[in-house]
Amino acid sequence: MTASDDVLSLPAEEGIREGLRAWRPGNAGGLARWVAAVLGAFGVYAMFLVLQGADPVAVLAAMADSAIGDAGSVADTLERATPLLFGALAVAVPARAGLFNIGGEGQLLIGAVAAAGTARLLGPDTAGAVALPAMALVGGLAGLGWALIAGVLRVTTSTNEAITTLLMNYIAGLILTWLVFGPWKDPDSLGQAYSTRLPDSQQLPSLAGGDLHTGVLVGLAVAAATWLLLRRTSWGFQLRVVGGNSEAARRAGLRVSRLQVAALAVGGLLAGLGGAMEITGVEERLRPEMMVGFGFIGFLASWLARHDPLKAVVAAVVLGGIAIGGNGLKVTAGLSGSAVNILMAVLLLAVLGWARRDTNAA
Amino acid sequence: MLLESVLTGAVRGGTAIVFASLGETVSERSGVINLGTEGSMLCGALAAYIVGIESGSAWLGVLAGMVAGALLSLVFGVLVLDRGANQLATGLVVTFLGLGLTSLFGQDYVGQGANGFTAAPVPGLAGLPFLGPILFDHDPLTYLSFVAVPTVWWGLFRTRAGLAVRAAGERPQVLEAFGTSPRRVRYGAVLLGGALAGIGGAQLSTALALNWSENVTVGRGFVAVALVIFAGWDPRKTIAGAYLFAGAIALQLQLQARGAEVSRYLLEAVPYLTVLIVLAALSRRRVHAGPEDLSNVFDG
Repeated sequence: MTASDDVLSLPAEEGIREGLRAWRPGNAGGLARWVAAVLGAFGVYAMFLVLQGADPVAVLAAMADSAIGDAGSVADTLERATPLLFGALAVAVPARAGLFNIGGEGQLLIGAVAAAGTARLLGPDTAGAVALPAMALVGGLAGLGWALIAGVLRVTTSTNEAITTLLMNYIAGLILTWLVFGPWKDPDSLGQAYSTRLPDSQQLPSLAGGDLHTGVLVGLAVAAATWLLLRRTSWGFQLRVVGGNSEAARRAGLRVSRLQVAALAVGGLLAGLGGAMEITGVEERLRPEMMVGFGFIGFLASWLARHDPLKAVVAAVVLGGIAIGGNGLKVTAGLSGSAVNILMAVLLLAVLGWARRDTNAA
Repeated sequence: MLLESVLTGAVRGGTAIVFASLGETVSERSGVINLGTEGSMLCGALAAYIVGIESGSAWLGVLAGMVAGALLSLVFGVLVLDRGANQLATGLVVTFLGLGLTSLFGQDYVGQGANGFTAAPVPGLAGLPFLGPILFDHDPLTYLSFVAVPTVWWGLFRTRAGLAVRAAGERPQVLEAFGTSPRRVRYGAVLLGGALAGIGGAQLSTALALNWSENVTVGRGFVAVALVIFAGWDPRKTIAGAYLFAGAIALQLQLQARGAEVSRYLLEAVPYLTVLIVLAALSRRRVHAGPEDLSNVFDG
């Protein structure tokens, strides 16, 4: 708004301008924008369901029933949201430094693998009070190490971290598959491929009287801690400077490479921790199909939340609900559970399209 | 003979990646990196598979695959070129969309067996020792890729349209000054990229796997994007990268068939690891070879 604008504009015109500005995408057009995005996404999704010959109303009802139908399904949704939240935080921290971690998928898996390996080392007789923190710690460190590879390659060889983290997902998945078909296979599994079940004492306890495991609370606490780390510490501020303009950051004396590597490593740490929570809270053992797609959905959650760790909690719950709704899709309508990916993707595309350039710099 | 089987497998298995990599090269030359290539491949694979079965014509299937791949890249184009959305994030979400769409529409076709392409030995040449089976005993789409590589190179470096694409990737302002809209050029490049990825997907489902299963590409589209950097944005070199990846797959299959004492899952990781290592080894040298305007995306 320039001075001449002020002079020329009449009060009524000003009101209209304000109104227009509020509606303009990218501005704080808030609630209406979100409602439109969600409705639009559901509309497109319903259209595809009709094309496949399914009844969209019945499908959506079945999905809602699976995701929020009763206390048990709400608990399912919240439990599913937890690894997605860790996956989202793993994207959000590097994004603050302008980096793309698309390796949440692999980092979650490596975290779960390392946690399972720790349990094997400790043996079934080790008390949970020792084993569970150890599994969480080693799982987190394994995720950190896995992401560190991409970070080091980025600063030493200029290899783009988006590409390396993406490729490393497939390697992590195959390491998991190798372990459960080979050396870590449960001897009593009769041809099924999975590792030995964790003893009850080494699984996360449930929250008082409910179906939820305590990892859900850990997720919330970690999200809050990540928010503090990014928004209230000088390290978080330095990441933001690097993400905004790495050249300016370098001239200002920041150690850009070190910060970039650290951002990716912290991301990997969070995802690895999430993998440890998932195996000790939900899975109880390693399976080849565990957490398929969770890293990618976490990526969507982080972008949905514009890399804000607290908003990522909401995004993870929403996407977790849609993912759990996919079970209802499979059971009730006989449709492939992966079809819910359409709904998530369209929702994200609506948000990405609306957000325009202002959100690209994390 | 091990070497012959590995090289034959490298060519046959690499074809899908050659097409996708060529498409991504065109797109990136115009200054747009499209991680939706994986999704375009998936959509191309399913569309070719379904249309091939329903129409009885495998070539009609390929056409459908091209259209499907291009349509998905149109979604990417609208968001990135019209709405200014982030390229890497949008590409990944578009791939996710392709994964969901192909899961939904492909579920009735899982494990049906394709009406696809069979090997069509080139008369005279297929009988050559060593080179015959490696190069001249393949499906028609593989031969098409032999033509597509020099054609795309020629198109990029010897035609006006190619000059416009490269200008859009290097100095869009210059293109603008000459009265051509970089946005329109990029749209063309992105759509062509999606169509080529769609052909690649079609080769995968109707000539290589002869089958449809959910997520049949398992990262080949992402590998194709990685290989563009490996090839230094040169269409001719994409072929080497694609055959390297597929050759690693063929080698691990051969080792398995020969009863190697290594887990097949560890061997399956080798192709991805190979690409990762090669990329890390070459990236520093490649960093200035890329289109100028593309670095804005990476350094974003």
